[in-house]
Amino acid sequence: MVKKQRSLSAIDKKIINRLQRDIPFVKKPWSAIARELEIDEARLLKRIGLLKKIGVIRRISATFNPQKVGFTSTLVAAKVASRDIDKVAKRINAYEEITHNYKRDSEYNLWFTLVARSKNRISQVLREIKRDNKEIKKLVNLPAKRLFKIGVKFKV
Amino acid sequence: MTALAVIASEVREAVSKETMNNIDKKIISLLAQDIPLVERPFEALASKLGTQEAELIKKLKAYKKSGQMRKLAAVSNHRKIGFKYNAMVVWNIPEDKSEKTGEIMATFNGVSHCYQRSKFQGWKYNLYTMIHGKTKKECFDLAAKIAKKTGFEDNMVLFSSKEYKKTGVKY
Repeated sequence: MVKKQRSLSAIDKKIINRLQRDIPFVKKPWSAIARELEIDEARLLKRIGLLKKIGVIRRISATFNPQKVGFTSTLVAAKVASRDIDKVAKRINAYEEITHNYKRDSEYNLWFTLVARSKNRISQVLREIKRDNKEIKKLVNLPAKRLFKIGVKFKV
Repeated sequence: MTALAVIASEVREAVSKETMNNIDKKIISLLAQDIPLVERPFEALASKLGTQEAELIKKLKAYKKSGQMRKLAAVSNHRKIGFKYNAMVVWNIPEDKSEKTGEIMATFNGVSHCYQRSKFQGWKYNLYTMIHGKTKKECFDLAAKIAKKTGFEDNMVLFSSKEYKKTGVKY
């Protein structure tokens, strides 16, 4: 079912571990990272390009705190009949406000996150999703009341 | 939330939007996407934005300092770097203990996200932790460790059985 894990070279591992922290805010950030890792810049860029191509690195981008840049976010739990779930998930994904969407095996089996310009927009998207997906038996909006931690970092 | 609190939060939203000018919005929108693998990526991005490299770098430092930007880094595919399983572990914690407990949960390395959300009818869980592991057992073991440390054992481990979408935010 799952493809065999591609084994990563020692240098790729070092690159992945390093790139999960901030890229330096300097004119030549790759050159700075290459120096830290003691490889040359051309090789670093080539390895990063390859890691992106095989999908190990999805992208290199800035992550913002939505609330601090004028956006708002939430998590939504939905109950969907299992035979309809793929179809419903696909329709929901069409909204660009949906950033993550997972099937989880429980009573609430579809869990997705939304980031939007306002709470009103989130309510509107959720109203539309309910209206257009009668297969959804229940939908619960669960905005965070408190954030204790956010910071994904994997040591490889 | 009371009506007043709702109004206050809408006002806060409006204010934070106003303090961001157009160039900030453009930078945030562009930087939330993949940055180029060229020798001087900020120069390339600045020219797209119609600004200067030095100005963009100054802005990035400012966003980082203010907490508007969490980080500028690689987003990896967890499964492809060996962390094949991700579980959302939900916890039933007495409301008056939730703050303290959330803080303890956040100290675990294997916990990437920890939030408090509302309980609702038919759902007694109010703390949410995202955990990642190389095996399912690793995830269960971590949940057990967290339970032991916090003293609260009532949880549910919800593995993701399908990823339908995982993308960056479109600002």
